[in-house]
Amino acid sequence: MSSVAIQGNAAGAGVFTIASPNSASSYTATLPTATTTLVGTDATQTLTNKTIQGGAITSGTAVASTSGTSIDFTGIPSYVKRITVMFSGVSTNGTSVPILRLGISSGIEATGYLGSTSNIVTGSTPTSTNTTGLGLAQAIDAAAIYHGHIFITLLGSNLWVMSAVLSRSDTALTTVASSSKTLSGTLDRVRITTVNGTDTFDAGTINILYE
Amino acid sequence: MTHRIVVDLQTGVTTQVEYTPEEQAVHDAAVAAQQAAELAAQPIEPTPEAQP
Repeated sequence: MSSVAIQGNAAGAGVFTIASPNSASSYTATLPTATTTLVGTDATQTLTNKTIQGGAITSGTAVASTSGTSIDFTGIPSYVKRITVMFSGVSTNGTSVPILRLGISSGIEATGYLGSTSNIVTGSTPTSTNTTGLGLAQAIDAAAIYHGHIFITLLGSNLWVMSAVLSRSDTALTTVASSSKTLSGTLDRVRITTVNGTDTFDAGTINILYE
Repeated sequence: MTHRIVVDLQTGVTTQVEYTPEEQAVHDAAVAAQQAAELAAQPIEPTPEAQP
């Protein structure tokens, strides 16, 4: 059996008292199995060797969107309530509009999205609904180069709400889009692809933040 | 082979995942269908009238 020793300090003169609060219940405080110093709540402390889940913004790994038919970010922790997807100079080789889809551990979900996407250009704002994902453009051409953010937030009970503001650097055009989607489970992945699923990414960088 | 890019946020590892033969077959069929649709949408050139 291990034991507990209370050790005084011969150089000091103060009296340190272990006191009980006024309570009818009994509790046990377990000491750490390490040589360390316990901290209290009376002063600002610096946490070390601690992981804060939620409250902290975590960056994913930036990926060059220069090949492939889709870019997937997997392993999103279950505590996450907000995801930011960042585009810089993203382009594809075709005319199928880029789209963002959410997924769970069993795969990406491509139905049940409720929302619209508008291209804002001089003199018009063509708009299209899209049920297969968050449309990131109303229509594009192969020269389109996109920059901007997509925000994905948890409203509750696997109901996620998304919005995007992206603009093109090859021409004067801005896309505004929003959508909501109820997943069949806990979100753990995000996919950026195109509606036809066959166009390939050929330029740019994509990364995500989650919190 | 066609591929997708997968970033695992738990490990920070980015991988290029090649399509399975089944996925590649679906992809190839979709590309063929798109090409057929583009051909069908092209205007038909008028046939030159026969010279007398």
